[in-house]
Amino acid sequence: MIGALATEFLKARRSRVPLVTVFAFTVVALVGGLFMFILKDPDRARELGLIGTKAALVGGTADWPTYLAFLAQASAIGGMIVFGLVEIWVFGREFSQHTAKDLLALPTSRVSIVAAKFGVVVVWCLVLAVQLLVLGLVIGTVLGLPGWSAPVLATGLGRIAGVAAMTVLLTTPVAFAACAGRGYLPGVGMMIAAVFCAQIIAALGYGQYFPWSVPALFSGLAGPDQPVPGPFGVLLVILVGVAGAMGTALWWRQADHDR
Amino acid sequence: MTTPVIDARGVTKRYGEVTAVDEVSLRIEAGEIYALLGLNGAGKTTTIRMLLGMVRPTSGGVAVLGAAVRPGMHEVWRRVGYLVETPTAYPELTVSENLAVAARLRGLRGRRHVEDVIARLRLDTYAHRRAGTLSLGNAQRLGLAKALLHKPDLLILDEPANGLDPAGVAEIRDLLLELQQQGVTVLLSSHILTEVARLASRIGVIHDGRLVREIAADDLAEHERQRLSISVRDHARARTTLQAAGFWPDSVNGGFELTDPRALREPEAVVAVLAAAGCPPHRVVVEQDDLETFFLRVVGS
Repeated sequence: MIGALATEFLKARRSRVPLVTVFAFTVVALVGGLFMFILKDPDRARELGLIGTKAALVGGTADWPTYLAFLAQASAIGGMIVFGLVEIWVFGREFSQHTAKDLLALPTSRVSIVAAKFGVVVVWCLVLAVQLLVLGLVIGTVLGLPGWSAPVLATGLGRIAGVAAMTVLLTTPVAFAACAGRGYLPGVGMMIAAVFCAQIIAALGYGQYFPWSVPALFSGLAGPDQPVPGPFGVLLVILVGVAGAMGTALWWRQADHDR
Repeated sequence: MTTPVIDARGVTKRYGEVTAVDEVSLRIEAGEIYALLGLNGAGKTTTIRMLLGMVRPTSGGVAVLGAAVRPGMHEVWRRVGYLVETPTAYPELTVSENLAVAARLRGLRGRRHVEDVIARLRLDTYAHRRAGTLSLGNAQRLGLAKALLHKPDLLILDEPANGLDPAGVAEIRDLLLELQQQGVTVLLSSHILTEVARLASRIGVIHDGRLVREIAADDLAEHERQRLSISVRDHARARTTLQAAGFWPDSVNGGFELTDPRALREPEAVVAVLAAAGCPPHRVVVEQDDLETFFLRVVGS
């Protein structure tokens, strides 16, 4: 298992994909900072037209609670896409590059290899979430946002961490799709379908029952009139995460690998 | 009676209505070099994938090194090296790193195994080059290096000479023969029949998913038909003359082929009969089947 983890980390380290994901999350933090910068001066925000209007949508005031809420909401939607891409790359590459066959008849079990891949995904996404938190703190401090307090910070950071954790769990079925479909595209299709359905179902008011809507509702993205997902919603997310991981491991162990 | 290294019994693989492999039984003993010959789509790779536990047979069973192949069994693969279809590697990793990845997954520690196999496959020049930049021949060497890394007791190689230049083909042949001397068992599939003829101790011909013929390389000569090939200018008169003399010529490419023992034993008598009739042959050759002819005859092409 340690050997499998070491090889997966080496493969990830040698790729450019981690840099792309770091860049994506940097952009998220910077865009949030830009909105806060604009909101600090409403007259200038109006002069900027559309950007000012959009920035007003996240709450309308430039302070720590608003900025942290924005980051949580961005990590719900952006996280599903970026974390999903991480899953797709880690699993789908073995099929797109035809290297999966070299992992199938080894003294290291296939389940260990799958577990190592999920391990790399979790660490990778954790690093991205921490990066978002640290960048958020730095940008908020540089902008001199008001409303700083330990409880506000703890609540905001806790929400971002919770959203990120739930989002990682929700991407395991994307890994399954990339494996069962033997390549990147089935995973991408699954990810787009999940994001699309999450928006529609949340808009219809049933988001708390649809796992992929839960992180966005938890982050407050859908607005104050939407129900907050309770333990049932979190349970659904955990169930999806476990089912996706187990399904992927079982597929590697049991399926016919004939390509 | 020793346990065979590979024991496949009535292995069948069906995909819906299509039968990819049909009741194939293989018994390969330690130290053999067994070659699977077959046309594209004959079922060689599916058979190899079943032997390696990548594809589950619809019926029948496989045992490798005495252990039944089934999902979740992985300890036996410690003693097996393999190369299936085209060689692949992680393109952004160097040759050395690709081998280090394979070594870690095989539970090998230290750099020695990697360095040894790099030297053995003459990959020293490319050790620090990214695998994505390798030529097909060197990628094939890297694939073989991964298969040999852990000094396996059984090697399963799908088209091992694919993409190699003639010197590389000869080098791999020598390597496999050397491994055989050391007691390694080799199962390979190939379409380079001359290589198979030089390497294999036993040959299995697979066609339309069925193992249609198995033959020891030593016995190949007995199955290689001889024929007397004759070219003449007056085809019609030559045929009549030969038939009148008691021969039964088959028309082939403007000439004749005679396979009856008397013609093969006394080709000069055939020449004399034709010359006496005024249609002397301008070419007379006793030809013998090579492995290719044997193979094509067996598969009916």
